Amino acid sequence: MIEKAVILPTGQEICDGVVIDTDSPEVMQQLLRLNPMCQVERRAPVPDAENLIAEAIDQASEADLVILIGGSGGGRRYSSTLCKDYTHSAMELMLEDFSSREIYGKNGHLWCKLVCGRRKGALVINLPGPYDEAKAAMRAFLRSCEKGKPDLQAINQAMAEAVMEQYPKVEAKAGSLA
Amino acid sequence: MDFPDSAPYVIAYADKTVLKISGVRVKGLDTRSLEELLMKKLNSVVRVIGVTGSSVDMDVYGIDPEKLLKDEQGIIEAVSLSEGITATEVARIAEAKRIVEVDYAELEGKKRTACARERWAGHD
Repeated sequence: MIEKAVILPTGQEICDGVVIDTDSPEVMQQLLRLNPMCQVERRAPVPDAENLIAEAIDQASEADLVILIGGSGGGRRYSSTLCKDYTHSAMELMLEDFSSREIYGKNGHLWCKLVCGRRKGALVINLPGPYDEAKAAMRAFLRSCEKGKPDLQAINQAMAEAVMEQYPKVEAKAGSLA
Repeated sequence: MDFPDSAPYVIAYADKTVLKISGVRVKGLDTRSLEELLMKKLNSVVRVIGVTGSSVDMDVYGIDPEKLLKDEQGIIEAVSLSEGITATEVARIAEAKRIVEVDYAELEGKKRTACARERWAGHD
């Protein structure tokens, strides 16, 4: 049972108030639906800087669950006005054990990378920024938790499938880039 | 779509047009509300993927760039109805480009060093 959760929104546009953070209330609502006694803390948004996101993960890892939102794609690599996406790379730096799944577009761009892992006692996951994708991924995560104690790979897979389902009329091909 | 356990990545073969609106003032935007307005207008899925104080980047699924450009004024008007966005007199579609498919076979062995793990070296 998740008793203490920390939500960490990321992104300069959230920090600056250019965009309202609508994902965090949705995530909080879903957590409370699962466990009304859960203590949910939404921390101040973290700018798009790998070291700051890594530090925020470390500081939050006393919770049972840490949820990072946004910064899951290719960001500025593909468009000069997008923010840099550092969430997944910061997670890979900080997590002791993790599973990850990447979704690329047919144009070769990284659309989304989801990471699920552990730091100290905390389970750490990330959600994409777009509201529908964040909502679907969070639902998939909680459904996995309801089934008992799924492993990191199973959680990660369920979340990635949920994000994929948000793309319309999509055909998909899986593969290995190792 | 299932992710096989052994597959760390998947390629999504979805058609989309990257749409960029510039010449707007953005503060306190509810991206979901903007997506809903445009989805209603375009009758297709729209995702806001990037926002600055003066522009909005979106993915529009299944609609040709030409169609979007033809209805530029209507799209600007719809966008400006969203709370948190004000269209200025220079508001316009700065970009409407359909994504181009690449041959993944040519990328085999390169992707790992060319995407998430490169930490944006050389891209600032």
